[in-house]
Amino acid sequence: MKQLLLLTVALAFSSQAQAQTFFVDDATVVAKNGTQSKTDIIVVDGVIQGRGARLVAPDGATVISGGWVTPGLFASMSSLGMTDIGSSGPGNDVASESSKTNVSEYAVDSFNPRSVHVANVRQSGITHAVIAPRSGSDSIFAGTGAIISLTGEFDSVLDPEAFVMVDLGETGTRRAGGSRAAAMSQLRSAIEDAESFTKRYAESSDGGDVLTRQDAQAFARAVKGEIPLLIRVNRAADIMRLIDIKQNNPSIKMILVGAAEAWEVADEIAASNIRVIIDPLKNLPDSFESVGSRLDNVIFLENAGVDYAISNLGALGVTKPATLAQHAGAAVVEGLRWDQAFGAISSIPSQWFNVRGDSLVVWDGDPMEVTSAPIAMSIGGVDQSMTSRQKALRDRYNPSRSDDRPYKYR
Amino acid sequence: MKKFIPLLLSVTALTACEPNSDKTSDDKSDSDGPAFESTYTPQTPADVLLRNAKIIDGVSAEILEGDLLISGGRIGFVGSGEIPDGITELDLDGRYVTPGIIDIHSHLGNYPSPGVQAHGDGNEVTSPVTSEVFAEHGVWPQDPGFDEALQGGVTTLHVLPGSANLFGGRGVTLRNVPSRTVQGMKFPDAPYTLKMACGENPKRVYGNKGGPGSRMGNVAGYRKNWIKAQGYKAKRDKGGDFDRNLQLETLADVLDGKILVQMHCYRADEMVQILDIAKEFDYKVTTFHHAVEAYKIGDYLAENDTCAAMWADWGAFKMESFDYINENVPFVHAAGACAMIHSDDQNNIQRLNQEVAKTWADGNRAGLNIPKAEAWKWLSTNPAKALGILEETGTLEEGKRADVVIWDGDPFSTYSRPATVMVDGVVLFDKETGLKPKSDFRLGYADLTEGAK
Repeated sequence: MKQLLLLTVALAFSSQAQAQTFFVDDATVVAKNGTQSKTDIIVVDGVIQGRGARLVAPDGATVISGGWVTPGLFASMSSLGMTDIGSSGPGNDVASESSKTNVSEYAVDSFNPRSVHVANVRQSGITHAVIAPRSGSDSIFAGTGAIISLTGEFDSVLDPEAFVMVDLGETGTRRAGGSRAAAMSQLRSAIEDAESFTKRYAESSDGGDVLTRQDAQAFARAVKGEIPLLIRVNRAADIMRLIDIKQNNPSIKMILVGAAEAWEVADEIAASNIRVIIDPLKNLPDSFESVGSRLDNVIFLENAGVDYAISNLGALGVTKPATLAQHAGAAVVEGLRWDQAFGAISSIPSQWFNVRGDSLVVWDGDPMEVTSAPIAMSIGGVDQSMTSRQKALRDRYNPSRSDDRPYKYR
Repeated sequence: MKKFIPLLLSVTALTACEPNSDKTSDDKSDSDGPAFESTYTPQTPADVLLRNAKIIDGVSAEILEGDLLISGGRIGFVGSGEIPDGITELDLDGRYVTPGIIDIHSHLGNYPSPGVQAHGDGNEVTSPVTSEVFAEHGVWPQDPGFDEALQGGVTTLHVLPGSANLFGGRGVTLRNVPSRTVQGMKFPDAPYTLKMACGENPKRVYGNKGGPGSRMGNVAGYRKNWIKAQGYKAKRDKGGDFDRNLQLETLADVLDGKILVQMHCYRADEMVQILDIAKEFDYKVTTFHHAVEAYKIGDYLAENDTCAAMWADWGAFKMESFDYINENVPFVHAAGACAMIHSDDQNNIQRLNQEVAKTWADGNRAGLNIPKAEAWKWLSTNPAKALGILEETGTLEEGKRADVVIWDGDPFSTYSRPATVMVDGVVLFDKETGLKPKSDFRLGYADLTEGAK
């Protein structure tokens, strides 16, 4: 409490400061591998300009006592910038319910870096994100996803063809026509379509079994292993069927998303070099395919040597990934080391998706504490605005400010 | 996490008890006899003195340091007082003790896990006016979500119908206790509530089914039915023979002040329209639920003594929630209105303390200066008030039900979880001993108790 009040005072000054210079006294500095050390830090316009045990605050700097300085957070699952409001309609481009295409639908075409949610979510310390479509129509293939940074600029798409997204489990079953067998048949046939692309589509008029020409072409890179294949799946038995597909197609780089029952087959997942994105808050048997959900799923994966990332999959879609760090904190409660949990929301998924370049966040406390928030941040050395539509609304209606003007003039 | 001394009394406390048969209910003005009465009787509570606790009592703005006596299922004293001879003592070594959390907006049991279509019993989407239905008739007591919510410190919850209809039906306040029946969970003598809904949902659902198809139609729908209810109430007040009408009975009971209105409403302007309708027909809106724009009209809420139940950081899932801000709860609080957190979600309900911690910190960061103990009221005191049960629970005060959570750390931290949860002085969850309820549904599936290798 005391600390928070001090920071509030400090912030009041910072808004008036010309240069964005922060002196973080006795900062907890988190390295890319998640380890912590203590030092003083000077941050100018979002970039570290000095570090050492006994630095002196530059003139005009905002002094933050006990702040944290970390790499930016990486959200390994979101639909950020693909939707203005969650309800279906013109403001929502996450899934195409009646399109004729699938893998060749690129999330980047639906991405609007100017969406207000990009800046809203950036205020949670998230600097990079996966954006993924959801399946629609009668295909298990949702499309091709992208990697973005959260600068809100038009050059913020870092990789427009980062992975192919597939829905299996109950959703994929529904898409494929009503059974898991149909969904798996679609997946296997699509792999064959993509593998024999040149022969089947270019040299003859037969076409593929399940993919049209442009979708098979788009899927080929994932089948060759040039980009990962992300698969939403929860049931342990479904994961075992995917392991079977992986054995027959060793070039495919699978990343399982959800994987509520992964703990039951953690050793098999590790042995197959399959990666996993999980939500450490998932514990309800909210579907028959996730009756084995448990909070310590992540501990099984860690102990088995599975390469995993943490996401807030169960959070509300539009505002996801804002609560990413809170979900990582739940893994710490279950016994994961802090550095492991932090790596799972920063460096690990960054490496998976080849995100280079530094990002930095100055926090007023431990980023996994729900009471903490970023004070300053930079992406690729560029200072980021700490304002957003949410904060503009906050400021207009803030009861601690005295302002007699009518609300619309504030 | 520090080691916690287990509450050894927990296992002995779990002995079955005969239902209390002297419970009566006489507030059903129209009924021929009592219907669906609460059969809840606590199991045998164990008396215990919690020593050296940091106590957030839900009343004081300060965190108190001292002891807490639990005796006969009720709070004996808070801080210090006369210690009964031979009482079991438990040294908490500075751990936090709080009232049990109360969630005023839950669909547990009505939309239980697993979420199959056959379990969708929370919304009678057949007509915009269904004030005759009762949420309790769709509650499945085996929803595993109840057990998980208990482990998050939730001791009381209000289950209410969904928001498709203008008048959705009656909500029910439940003790979060293991039971084979919903009657065995009903909070004895808690008032019924009426779920109503504003905005997008009714007009979307009924736009092509005879209306309402707009916010204008919504308001006309409320008013037409309040007029009918006034007529029904006049007949009922006169006495003598009249045809009982379940739909109007609920509305007339609202006009008589026996049933509390719990209204789903997002937009600021719309909430103020509703307050005008309440004035026109002389009833009270107890709480606006979701109330994403409540921060814009805190003064109106304070003036009308109407509470707002809100999320910490959810929004933009539809147009009427587009203006969500993370400071909604503290801003409403700062305006002098009755603010509280709510979940509306089977996951969120398990960590409502964290939701409050988030929004509390954001409010103070925006310039407010709300102490933690004051913010705690958003978790138990204010929801108890809004459900008409504050005399029985919601705070740690002498004579109240001993609905108590002992935490393994600061409840405003991500890293803290409830260590022990008591309802009416009975330990229903204890982390250290592994005591927890298990739904019938969980039997026969993979053993979730065996730890990781």
